[in-house]
Amino acid sequence: MQTFSYTRAETVEDAVRSVAGAGPRTCFIAGGTTLYDLMKLNLETPNKIVDITGLRDLNHIDAGGHSELVFGALARMSDVAAHPQIADEYPAISESLWRAASQQLRNVATLGGNLLQRTRCVYFRGGEPFACNKRDPGSGCAAQQGNDRGHALLGGSSSCVAVYPGDLAVALVAFDAKIDVLGVTGERTIAVEALHREPGTSPNVETTLKSGELILRVRVPKTTMGRASTYHKIRDRESYAFALASAAVALDMDGDTVRDARIAIGGLATRPWRARAAEQVLAGKTLSQRTARQAGDAALHEAKPGRNNSFRIELGARTVADALMIARQRA
Amino acid sequence: MTSLPYPYTIRVDAEDKVRGKPIYAADDNRPGLLHAALAVSTIAKGRITDIDTQAASAVHGVRLVLTHKTMGAAKSAGFIMGGGYGFQSLQPMLSPAIAYRGQPIALVAAETLEQAVESAHLVRARYAEEPFGVSLDAPGVEVVHQADTPLKNFIPEIASGDADQALSKAPVKIDAVFKAPPQHQNPMELIASVAEWRGNKLTVHEGTQNAEAVRHGVATALGIAPEQVEVISPYLGGGFGQKNSLQMQTLLAAVAARETGRPVKLVVPRATLFHAASFRPESRHHIRLGAERTGKMLAAIHEVDAQTSRHDLFPGEYTATSSRLYGFGSFRGVERLVRTDVQTPGYMRAPFEHPACFAMECCVDELAYSLGQDPVALRLANDTDTDVATGLPFSSRYLAECLKRGAELFGWTRRSMAPRSMRAKDGSAIGWGVAVGAYPGLTTPAVAHLKADEDGCVVISIGGHEMGQGIRTSLANTVSRKLGVLPEKVRAVIGDTRAAPQHLTAGSWGTASAIPAAEDAADAMLMALAEMSPAGIADRTPAEILKAAGRRTLEVEVQRKPPGQPDEILGRLRAGLPSVAGPVYRSHVTFSYIAHFVEVVIEPGTRRIRVPRVVSVADCGRVISPRTAASQVRGGVVWGIGAALRESSEVDPRYGGFLNADLADYVLPVNADIGSIDVEFIDKPDPVFNRSGVKGLGEVAMTGVAPAIANAVFHATGRRLRDLPVRIDHLL
Repeated sequence: MQTFSYTRAETVEDAVRSVAGAGPRTCFIAGGTTLYDLMKLNLETPNKIVDITGLRDLNHIDAGGHSELVFGALARMSDVAAHPQIADEYPAISESLWRAASQQLRNVATLGGNLLQRTRCVYFRGGEPFACNKRDPGSGCAAQQGNDRGHALLGGSSSCVAVYPGDLAVALVAFDAKIDVLGVTGERTIAVEALHREPGTSPNVETTLKSGELILRVRVPKTTMGRASTYHKIRDRESYAFALASAAVALDMDGDTVRDARIAIGGLATRPWRARAAEQVLAGKTLSQRTARQAGDAALHEAKPGRNNSFRIELGARTVADALMIARQRA
Repeated sequence: MTSLPYPYTIRVDAEDKVRGKPIYAADDNRPGLLHAALAVSTIAKGRITDIDTQAASAVHGVRLVLTHKTMGAAKSAGFIMGGGYGFQSLQPMLSPAIAYRGQPIALVAAETLEQAVESAHLVRARYAEEPFGVSLDAPGVEVVHQADTPLKNFIPEIASGDADQALSKAPVKIDAVFKAPPQHQNPMELIASVAEWRGNKLTVHEGTQNAEAVRHGVATALGIAPEQVEVISPYLGGGFGQKNSLQMQTLLAAVAARETGRPVKLVVPRATLFHAASFRPESRHHIRLGAERTGKMLAAIHEVDAQTSRHDLFPGEYTATSSRLYGFGSFRGVERLVRTDVQTPGYMRAPFEHPACFAMECCVDELAYSLGQDPVALRLANDTDTDVATGLPFSSRYLAECLKRGAELFGWTRRSMAPRSMRAKDGSAIGWGVAVGAYPGLTTPAVAHLKADEDGCVVISIGGHEMGQGIRTSLANTVSRKLGVLPEKVRAVIGDTRAAPQHLTAGSWGTASAIPAAEDAADAMLMALAEMSPAGIADRTPAEILKAAGRRTLEVEVQRKPPGQPDEILGRLRAGLPSVAGPVYRSHVTFSYIAHFVEVVIEPGTRRIRVPRVVSVADCGRVISPRTAASQVRGGVVWGIGAALRESSEVDPRYGGFLNADLADYVLPVNADIGSIDVEFIDKPDPVFNRSGVKGLGEVAMTGVAPAIANAVFHATGRRLRDLPVRIDHLL
C-alpha cells in the first residue's frame, strides 16, 4: 500500500472541496470495506483520502416522511437492514441488505459506499497478468475468452463483461429511487438507475458521478407495493457470496391480477438492471407460475451468453419467477 | 483400563482458544521485527531475463530486497517424498527458472507491512516465456505410469486375481468416469514464518505439522547444522496437510533475517497461498465394476490419472483405499501421474481417499440401482474380513456396524428406492444417499518424555502438533487415566523441537502414534513410582508418592516404534524424515471406516441443493477424546459438503496457475450451508493395531461424504453427476 494523506472532513462542502480538483487519486472514504480491499490489491492507489465518517448529517434513516424514505449516505447497511419499518413495508430493500456481505461488513459499510462497490471480476481483481480494460484501459478483456461463469449476460460489451455486484442498488432501481449528490457546482439528483454506466468502450468509467461529487442521501418514493416485495438472491452458498442471479420484485395486485409490477435483476448484468419488458408481460395478467415464468423469460430475453454462463439465463428466469411468487404471498 | 470408553471431557485448550490466547506466527510482533512481502511471477513458465528492484528498494522503510541474484549460498531442501524436507523440490528464488504462475521472484523486508507490500508491487521482471499446461488434458503435459517409476518400491500397484477376465464374465457391469478438481486447503491461519538469528542460531516460529522437517530442511537449505535451528509451533490455525513439510517461505524469511540482522516475519497472503503451498491435485477416475446378479462384486478396475508437477512425482495412492472398501472378487489398480506446470501438489485432508471413495462409492450406488437392490444391503452383502489386496485379515473392521447403526439413526427404512420418489410439501425434491469411506491405519515412531512433580503437575513432551484436532486433550485424557491425576493437571508440550523429536503429524496417525507412547511412558513412570514406594502405589497420586519419598520430581522417557519396523526408523525420526508404517503390517491390515447418510433437498425452481442433515458413524477403534473426536467428524463432514457442492480451484489455460485465488471466489461452505450432523462412534478398541486400541479419525471423517451427497442428488433428481463439484449449473 502506498503512502497517502488522510484528512477528516468537517462539513459536506468541506469534503467536496477537498476532493474536487485534487486529482484522480483522491478518494472519499466511509466504511472502507471496498476501498481498503482494493488498495491492498494495488487496484486503488489513492494519494489522498478524505474521511467523511464524521459527517453526522449524513447518518440518518428517515422512514416517517409522507412521500419518501430517506437514507443518509452514511447510514450503515446493518442499521437499514434491521429497521423494523423498512423490513415491514419494504422487505425487498431490507432483504437486499441482509443478503449482502456478512454481518461484520454490514456493521461498517455505508449505503453510499455500497452503491459504488466495484466488480468482483477475477480478472479485474487479479491484476497482472490479466488483461482488463477496466483496470488498464486498452489492455483487453481477459474474461471474454476466459472463465466467465460469473460474468454478465446483459449490458456487456466487447470491452467488458464484469458484473455489477451490489444488491441494494437492484432493489432501489425497482423502486425508482434517486440519490442526491453534491459537487462543487452544487447539488443535483440522479436516478439510481442512471448512476451506473454500461461499460461500452470505456469500462473504466463506472458511474455518472462527476469528479468530487459526494452522495448525500438515497430517496425512495413511498409506495404500498413495498409490502408485496422481495429480494431473491441465488448464489453458490447460502450466505456471504455474490449473486449468480437475483431479483428485486414488487407487486400491486388486484386479487390474482397484477395491476403493476416492478422487476429489477442483479448478478446478471453490468449494472443494476430494471426489467421493464418483464413488468409489461405481467401488467393486467393473472399471476401464476406460468405468467411468472414468462416474466422471467422476458427479463432475460436480451441475454447474451458467454462460454460458461449460459445456465444463468435459465437460472435468472427462474429466480424472477420464484421472486414473483414470494412477493405474491405478501400482497 | 483401555477397555473402558473415555469420558466426554472438555477440550483442554478450549478456553485459551476462545479467548485468543494462543499466539500464532502471524501474530508475532517482537521488538525490531521487519515485515516481509513477496513479488510473484506473472508468467506460467519460463525464465526471468531481467529483474529490476531499483524502484522497490527506494521505498521508504525498505531494508532489503532479495532476488535469486542476491539469495547467497542456499539450496533446495529436497522433496519430502524424495528423501528431502520440502513440499516440493523447487525452492523459489534460487534460480531464474519459473515453473508456475505465482512463484515468488523477490522478497522485500521493511519496517512496516505497508512499505513491504508497496515495494513488492514495484519489483519489475522481464521473462522469456515457455509453453505450459496446468490441467490433466492440457496440451504438452506428460503422463507417467507410477509403476514405471521408483515410487513402485514403496507404493506397489494393487492387484488381486484376474480382474479383467472376471469383469468380462460379470453379468452386471458399471463403467464410469469421475472427476475431482484441484482444491486448496485454505486454513484460516495463513502460512507464515518468523525467523530470528541469535549469533549463529536460528529460531523459527511457524505454524507447521512438521517442526522437525522445518528444522532439518532450513538447516539443509542454509548449509548449517540442525543443532543451530529451533522450530517452535505450539498451535496451528488449521493445517489439513498444507503445512506438513518445509514450505517455501521459511528459507526466505531466514535469509532475510540473516541479511538484515533483524527478526523477519513473512505472512503469505491468501492469493499467493494458492501458488505457494501444496494443494489437492486434479484427478480422474475410470472405474469398471462387475457383479453377479445377486450383487456379489466379482471385479473392480480403478484407473487413476492424477496431477503432479513437472519437478516432482507426487505419489498417487488412490487405489490403496478403493480396493479396501469391499470384498471384491478381484481388483486391479492403475495409478498414472500427469506432469503439469504447477507447484507440487500434496496431502490435502483425505488426499487420495476422498476422490477415490467418491468414484468407487458412486459406482457402487449405480450398481445397486442397476440391480434394483437397496444401497445399504448391497454394501453389507459385500463386506469382508479379509483384505483383497494382500489376503491378510483386517485387524478390526466394523464397517457393517457403521452402516447398520447409521441406517437406524437416519431412518433409512423409510426411504423409497425410486429416484424422484420423495418430495417435500413445497415441491422440493428430497434425496437420501449413503456411502462409506475408509482410511489407512498408519503409525509412526514417537519419543515420549514424562515428568511429574510434587505439586501434582504432569508434563508430557512428545512428538505431535496441535492443529485443532485435539491431540492435547487426547494426551491429557490418556495420562490422566493412567496416573490418576486430573486432565487439567496434565500439560502437553508438542510442536517443539526442543522438547522431543517432532515427526510430521498427518495421515491420521497422530493419536495412534502418540497415545500408545504416552501409555508406555505412564507405565514407566508407574514402575519408577512403585520402586520408590515400598507401601505400594494403589490409590495414590504421583505427587503423594513423590512427597512421601522426599522427591520433588520424577522423569521418564520412552521410545516406541510401529510393529515390524527396524530400529533405524528411530534415526529417521530424529532426522526429521517421514517414518510411517502401515496400512499393511506383517500379520494384518488396518483401516478406519465410516458410513455417511445424507439428506439433500433440491428446490423446485432454482434448484439450490441443501443438505439439512447428515448421520455419520465411524469406526476409529477406541475413542480417546470423545468430544474432540466428534468435532473432528463434524469438521470432516463439512469438508465433504464443500468438496461435493462447492470447492474447486479454477484454471484459465491461457494464464496458468489458479484463477479464483481468494475466499470470495474459492467457495467454501459457510454456517448457513450446514444443517444437523449427528455423529456416533462404534468405539470398539483395535488391540491388534496398538496397545491403546486407537485408529486414526481426522481424514476418514471426510471420506465418503461427497459420494453420499452425489448419490442423494441422484435419488432426488435421477441425474448421475460424476464431476465434482455438483452445482446448480447441472440441475437446471
